Amino acid sequence: MTGAEGPPARPAGPRGRVDPRVAAAAAVAAAEHVEPVDSEPEYEGLVTRAVAFAIDAAIISAVSVVVGAGVAVSLSVLSVPGDIENAIFALAGGVCALWSVAYFVTFWSATGQTPGNRVLGIRVRRADGDATLSPARSLLRLAMLTLAAIPLCAGFLPILVDDRRRGIHDMVAGTVVVGSGEDQPPAA
Amino acid sequence: MRLARPTAGRATLHLTVETLPEIRAREQDAGRRRFSLLSLGGAVAGIALRPVAGGVALGRRAERELRAAVADGLDAATLAATDALLASPLARAVVDRVLDSDLARHAVERVLAGQLVDAAARGVVEHAVLERVADDLLPGETVDALLDRAQAADLPRRVADRLLADGVLDQTVARVLDGPELERVVEQSLDSAAMERLVVRVIDSRLLEEAVERLLQTEELWLMVDEIARSPAVAAAIQRQSVGFADEVAGGVRTRSRRIDDRLESRARRLLRRRPRESGGTPPTGGEAPPGDTAP
Repeated sequence: MTGAEGPPARPAGPRGRVDPRVAAAAAVAAAEHVEPVDSEPEYEGLVTRAVAFAIDAAIISAVSVVVGAGVAVSLSVLSVPGDIENAIFALAGGVCALWSVAYFVTFWSATGQTPGNRVLGIRVRRADGDATLSPARSLLRLAMLTLAAIPLCAGFLPILVDDRRRGIHDMVAGTVVVGSGEDQPPAA
Repeated sequence: MRLARPTAGRATLHLTVETLPEIRAREQDAGRRRFSLLSLGGAVAGIALRPVAGGVALGRRAERELRAAVADGLDAATLAATDALLASPLARAVVDRVLDSDLARHAVERVLAGQLVDAAARGVVEHAVLERVADDLLPGETVDALLDRAQAADLPRRVADRLLADGVLDQTVARVLDGPELERVVEQSLDSAAMERLVVRVIDSRLLEEAVERLLQTEELWLMVDEIARSPAVAAAIQRQSVGFADEVAGGVRTRSRRIDDRLESRARRLLRRRPRESGGTPPTGGEAPPGDTAP
């Protein structure tokens, strides 16, 4: 639910008239449930997000390369049998994938900012409020991000035309990417 | 009024009335006649007494000449007696005894304790005696002679030793360092053209290059540089500088990427014939949520 969905349907009385008590209770419930956005955020575009993602990919790749090189050197020294070595490589690939997933899920769930996002001054948050993502929502967003990239990154094109600059993965996960405000002067 | 003298048994009364000027003229005539008589008498007496006066004047002149001769003789005799007295051993013994006596010491003490010394000092100052003496001494060779003698007697070293031993030099240095004179002198020196010329000469000279070369060859310099480089303040400064540089680079990337975003989006919207997006991401539907806003 988001605040943009509008208030819930007004309960009507027996003759179609609205009961004031019921209406007030519904308004309070709606106010408690919806977290209105304080101000109009600056939604971030495709290039900015791509640059941030590139930084994150570089970090992930660097760590993976260093760890993989260490493992490869260890295996070359230990003269492990071929089957076990293949299994270790497969395990390393799984660990690398897990590391990539954990990287994004952890940062999106914790602060809404990966290191790349922090460099670019952007943040991922829920579309219906200022809250950070839950791990499940982060995982869903990452999965949809992967799927959106498969058809030649066509899933990212809606960012160019959407009013809130959301891609397919944002629409499905109910997230937006906004500026963190750290690079902007404080409001008067 | 005058009564006329009786004549021939008859008494005749003549009344003559004289005025005041007539009375004065008559008295003046009488006085003039008396002065003439006295002058005449004086002249006669002077002629008669002239030899006597000549004798008296001659006696007086002789008396004056005699007195001068006696005085000269007495002066010569006195001087001769004085010389004889001063040259005699007796006078020397007398002087020695007088000076060795308590009387002489007492006299000196009285003089020093009395007003005489103060009066003498005031007189010296008032009449500029020292200035006159200095004016006579300074242009001549007396000062040079005095300095030569002082140097020969090793006076400068002894004075320096005394000043150092008594702490006078320390007090002087402390006074100079605490006082405003040193700052004034330094300011004047720094502002002077001579100082500028001196600095230029030092920079242009080989002295500075030699000093820098020797300094770079010393191991202590590099130890000091290492210590400074390892200090927390320098490390923090370098870190701040690095962070500042990284922030600057990130800010540049951020600004450019957002500008490219705007251009790319405007072209895509033109291609799809959609109206431009409003700034700030406000949905153009008047608050109505755009499609797909529902979270799963």
